[in-house]
Amino acid sequence: MTLSTKSFEIFCGTGGVGKTTLATARALSLSQSGNRVLLITIDPAKRLKDLLGLQGDAVGEVTPVELEGAKLDALLMSPEKTIGRMAKKYQTPDLANNRIVQILSKPYGGMNEILSMVEVQMQFETGLYDVVVLDTPPGAHFLDFLESLGKIKSFFDQNFVEIFSYLGQKTASAGKKVFGLNLINRVISSGVRKLLGYLQNVTGAEFIDDFIGAVQIIYQSRDAFLKGLSLQDKLKSRTECNWFLVTSVEQGKAQEAIELRSHASHFIHQDHFLVLNKCLELELQGWEPAEPHLASLKGSLEDKEQMLKKQLQEVFPVVLEFPEIISLSPSEHIQHLTEKWKSYVPQS
Amino acid sequence: MESLRRLYIFTGKGGVGKTTLSKAFVRYLLEHDHEAIYLTFQGQSLSDVQTGTTEKTVNGIREISLDLEECARTYIEKRLNSKMIASWIVKTPFFRALINMVPGFSYLIYLGRILEMGKANPRLIVVLDAPASGHALTMVESTTNFKQIFESGAIFEDTGKMLALLNNPEYTKIHVVSLPSLMSWQEAVELRTGLHERTPVDVDITVNNCLFTLVENDLEKLPQGLRDKALNEKQLIQDNLSEMRCILPHSLSHDPLAIETELVGSLAKLI
Repeated sequence: MTLSTKSFEIFCGTGGVGKTTLATARALSLSQSGNRVLLITIDPAKRLKDLLGLQGDAVGEVTPVELEGAKLDALLMSPEKTIGRMAKKYQTPDLANNRIVQILSKPYGGMNEILSMVEVQMQFETGLYDVVVLDTPPGAHFLDFLESLGKIKSFFDQNFVEIFSYLGQKTASAGKKVFGLNLINRVISSGVRKLLGYLQNVTGAEFIDDFIGAVQIIYQSRDAFLKGLSLQDKLKSRTECNWFLVTSVEQGKAQEAIELRSHASHFIHQDHFLVLNKCLELELQGWEPAEPHLASLKGSLEDKEQMLKKQLQEVFPVVLEFPEIISLSPSEHIQHLTEKWKSYVPQS
Repeated sequence: MESLRRLYIFTGKGGVGKTTLSKAFVRYLLEHDHEAIYLTFQGQSLSDVQTGTTEKTVNGIREISLDLEECARTYIEKRLNSKMIASWIVKTPFFRALINMVPGFSYLIYLGRILEMGKANPRLIVVLDAPASGHALTMVESTTNFKQIFESGAIFEDTGKMLALLNNPEYTKIHVVSLPSLMSWQEAVELRTGLHERTPVDVDITVNNCLFTLVENDLEKLPQGLRDKALNEKQLIQDNLSEMRCILPHSLSHDPLAIETELVGSLAKLI
């Protein structure tokens, strides 16, 4: 299996392993080989933000970046800005004004994953890019999210939402005539009303009203959300998407990478690559310490790395190794990794 | 000497050694005759595969792993005084949509349970192995968000009580765990700043897995790259020493239990 260029590349990883730096280097290497590239990132470390110029007004906006003679666009996700763009594009201004939607779309509020899917879809639709590289938040969170997409889709199920509309109208103007409800819906909605009655004791009536309001507003924007969700088919497709699972020798946990993959087992197709960062092998190779305690340090570091590689190679079809890079400037560091990426692409 | 808290939250990026450190800290507390448990939780949405809340004793440490659905059911059961209605509610699509659309909700449920455990046993000290960094912020933020979302009702009152405990410096302390590299350190400082903006409790940074402290006297015998790595660590430690609560050495051992035991002696500062 070789590393070929697809429309989408997804970087997942356990956090603190250099995932965003590797994704940036990958985006640069794609750009250097002539692709128009957009890098979407969620939570870069400060020095990478500095390097890419993703600060102040640039947050949440597509920002042109020039690095090491290559050009690409970069976008640091801001859920609030994405909501604003959705509201504008799909002409649903209520979406940007609802109190609950606002709270949920705070930077750590909980709608980040679905909004990044919507953002990737909106950016891809512009036709400006050959490749969109998505750097996801650390951990299995994004994968859990993709796995649960089916269930979120049921959120937009017609019957389900009609009940909300019905209840919404009930709360807004009691006694108003409701259209389009069949008998089954009426039966279900009486159950829902009973449920809401119980929940009101727990959450308070205002919350139930507000939440129903938020559901209706989100439903008005369902086209945007459903389009975002439809992206999952592309991500599942071997011809359209490469998956990279990133871990590091420093982290030393094959188990987490393996769990990450099993999390995504319904989702990830054959073209997934394990990226092992911060390898010390080359560094240690030529070192022959005379002192016993240093020899045991060397042995310990080597053993850890070899054990990790062995475990990973048993499970992953391809393991891409990247060396630990020490004491270089951030841009040299990226350049180094970019060259390494190129070495994994077959020369035509 | 710092006073003992009731809830210690260990957070930081994946792979910095949170789990080992949390368990070592439980071990430390046990050795000093405190009643302590190691606690973690399973997922953020009801569609995640979960195994039910489990409790087991591993190598002398009580480990509890919380299951979201079970915690939600127990909470509602307590509020409505009915097991049957609670079991029905957590299975309804409305409730599942609510929790799945609002992932921060899960933290509210977990935190509620943790504080409940603390109330039931006033001697218990909970050491929480919290999820990676962004999520720690979500966790702290979720209580504030939901206080704004719910304007009345039992959850509103409970969230208020939860916030009061979670934000009480005498009850809660947060430890951010970092590796001794510049990038990891900067991220830990950013996380601490984010947490400080959201809660008045103490947030301390512990630097784990230091090579420098092991090879301090052998620097010139190391190969170039390792020497640079150790020197970078030295520089980082010198520049930020006053902000580092605890500096822990790299362990040559491969066995988590052995590493835990090695660490125990160095953890008095984490109280």
